Amino acid sequence: MSLLAVSNLTKCYRRGDKTIAAVDDVSFHIDPGETLALAGPSGSGKSTIARLVLRLIEPDDGRIDFEGSDFLALSGAALRARRARLQMVFQDPLAAFNPRATVARVLDDPLRVHGIASRAERPRRIAALLERVGLIADLAPRAIHEISGGQRQRVAIARAIATKPSLIVLDEAASALDVSVRGEILKLLLDLQRQEKIAYLFISHDLGVIRSVAHRVILLDAGRIAENGDAQTVIDAPQSAIGKALVAAAPRLNRTLMRLASAGLD
Amino acid sequence: MTTLASIRDLTVTYRRDSNEVAALRSVSLDIANGERLAIIGESGSGKSTLALAIAGLLPGSSRIGGRIDWFLPSSPPSGAKAPPSVLPDISPSRGEIGSSPAGPLSASLAMGESGDKGVISPLEGEMSGRTEGGLVRREVRKSSLKQSYIPRLGRDIGFVFQDPSASLDPVMTIGKQIAEVARTHLGLTWSQSYARAKSLIERVRLPDPDSALRAFPHQLSGGQKQRVAIAAAIAAGPKLLIADEATSALDTIVQAEIVALIRRLVTEDGMTLLFISHDIALAAELAERIAVFRHGQLVELGMTAQIVGAPAQHYTRALLDAHIGLDTRPLLDRAGLHA
Ligand SMILES: Nc1ncnc2c1ncn2[C@@H]1O[C@H](COP(=O)(O)OP(=O)(O)OP(=O)(O)O)[C@@H](O)[C@H]1O
Ligand SMILES: Nc1ncnc2c1ncn2[C@@H]1O[C@H](COP(=O)(O)OP(=O)(O)O)[C@@H](O)[C@H]1O
Ligand SMILES: [Mg+2]
Ligand SMILES: [Mg+2]
Repeated sequence: MSLLAVSNLTKCYRRGDKTIAAVDDVSFHIDPGETLALAGPSGSGKSTIARLVLRLIEPDDGRIDFEGSDFLALSGAALRARRARLQMVFQDPLAAFNPRATVARVLDDPLRVHGIASRAERPRRIAALLERVGLIADLAPRAIHEISGGQRQRVAIARAIATKPSLIVLDEAASALDVSVRGEILKLLLDLQRQEKIAYLFISHDLGVIRSVAHRVILLDAGRIAENGDAQTVIDAPQSAIGKALVAAAPRLNRTLMRLASAGLD
Repeated sequence: MTTLASIRDLTVTYRRDSNEVAALRSVSLDIANGERLAIIGESGSGKSTLALAIAGLLPGSSRIGGRIDWFLPSSPPSGAKAPPSVLPDISPSRGEIGSSPAGPLSASLAMGESGDKGVISPLEGEMSGRTEGGLVRREVRKSSLKQSYIPRLGRDIGFVFQDPSASLDPVMTIGKQIAEVARTHLGLTWSQSYARAKSLIERVRLPDPDSALRAFPHQLSGGQKQRVAIAAAIAAGPKLLIADEATSALDTIVQAEIVALIRRLVTEDGMTLLFISHDIALAAELAERIAVFRHGQLVELGMTAQIVGAPAQHYTRALLDAHIGLDTRPLLDRAGLHA
């Protein structure tokens, strides 16, 4: 059985006198421990799908099944309990956290809210979480705005895994990071996935990164699924018009090198 | 190949609270006439600081040292040979450039286009500021930067920022914003300036030029706004176009379109391009030479083929290795999932 099954999801927004289908009849599933990537041009509906799956916004139509239950029908304590299993990491962790909060505070919240560890036990848990994401425990008393962007994204991941989720939604979570740091964060995500069997809904505009870390990919165009399949297969040979345009637009170092080399021979 | 600008020992520090942050440390580099030069490096490496220093846009909290010799058509022809002592010292005391005595600078004043009332006015000495609808508001800054000539933003240098909204005036029509640059720097009448704005809108390929002239920025997409910002940047025919992460906020399809546009315009107008990016693959596609920055220093500068194919520095190699391209070996071990 799928971990997450999304059926006929639709979400419209009004703009002036027009209605725009930000997400238009979208269906997909994610298996346990699997990474499904969403790609597509700006405005194609990627973040709207993320927000719908997280129930930050409500759909106009469609159904979401998560861990075997009708996620949209849950409320109260049942919803809260299920929410612990579904976490998120966004592009800008500074925007997600109170910048004056300490690292310890940011990690203490989910442990407390979801009743995962007693007050006495929490400092040890926080230290273990920091270690799990490759940070030293000494970072705990530092304020969020006092640590680097890469460290902050590790803290965001530590917070996401604090509640032992089965699925993490990552919306451009590695996009704003320097390439050297980005590689480390991607390796950390894969490592966590291997060990804890976490599934990811991985949103990125970077097809190279998607091809590197995702099992499957969905290409979106104007709220609809344009193409869908094995990440490497789709990106190596896209069939849809938007897929071809996205791949053609991606800068390519090796192609440039070959062009320069052949120009040098003339 | 002739030199457009020769930068020597450029040092910039920012004052923040009571600390001094060194953003550029003794950077020396020559920008060749008509070349496409990329500046790459990770965030905080000093790329934007270099761009702002060249354009004279650094904030008042910064301190600049070093020297830039300009070889613009409007700059003094003998600028390079002038001994440093006669070069205008860009310090507060020399702010009144307009009244400075004879020297290389006055040659440039004499060569200023007629109709451009902007012989360098007393307000425009060694200053910084930000663009407002193509005009520059400047403030006086402490500086020991020596320049053979003070290039004028808009006239000599066109600047395109990452966020097109920040460089466009939200309550002014697109047509007026572009026309204003042409009018200010080229001394055209309003109707001549509007005609120029329209042809620029056509050149940057905005759909329906007539209605685009009357549109306001919020009515355009991010990519269209960036086209407008580029049109405004080149409206007065600058020799040097600086694009600082000009495509970084756009999706890849729009990014590729804007990069193609910049390449075409630079070639057609014989401009020199300073293309600033954190993306080495993108920089390599566009630039003939690449300069790699790290911690405020120039790590390596070379032809694109050499930087990408045979980097001399470990750091450049590390940047290349960290790049995840469409043909890089995946990080994901795909055997893992269903095992
Ligand atoms: N709160 C909202 N109100 C009105 N329209 C919205 C809202 N949120 C999203 N939209 C519209 O829905 C569409 C999809 O937006 P969405 O943010 O999901 O795109 P995206 O694929 O995440 O784009 P990007 O790559 O730029 O992040 C767009 O047309 C957007 O303008
Ligand atoms: N206005 C400013 N005030 C204080 N420090 C600044 C300012 N602008 C940049 N810096 C600092 O200068 C260094 C170089 O920054 P910048 O030139 O913006 O780098 P890049 O464009 O390569 O990311 C960084 O340490 C940055 O924090
Ligand atoms: Mg989005
Ligand atoms: Mg910058």
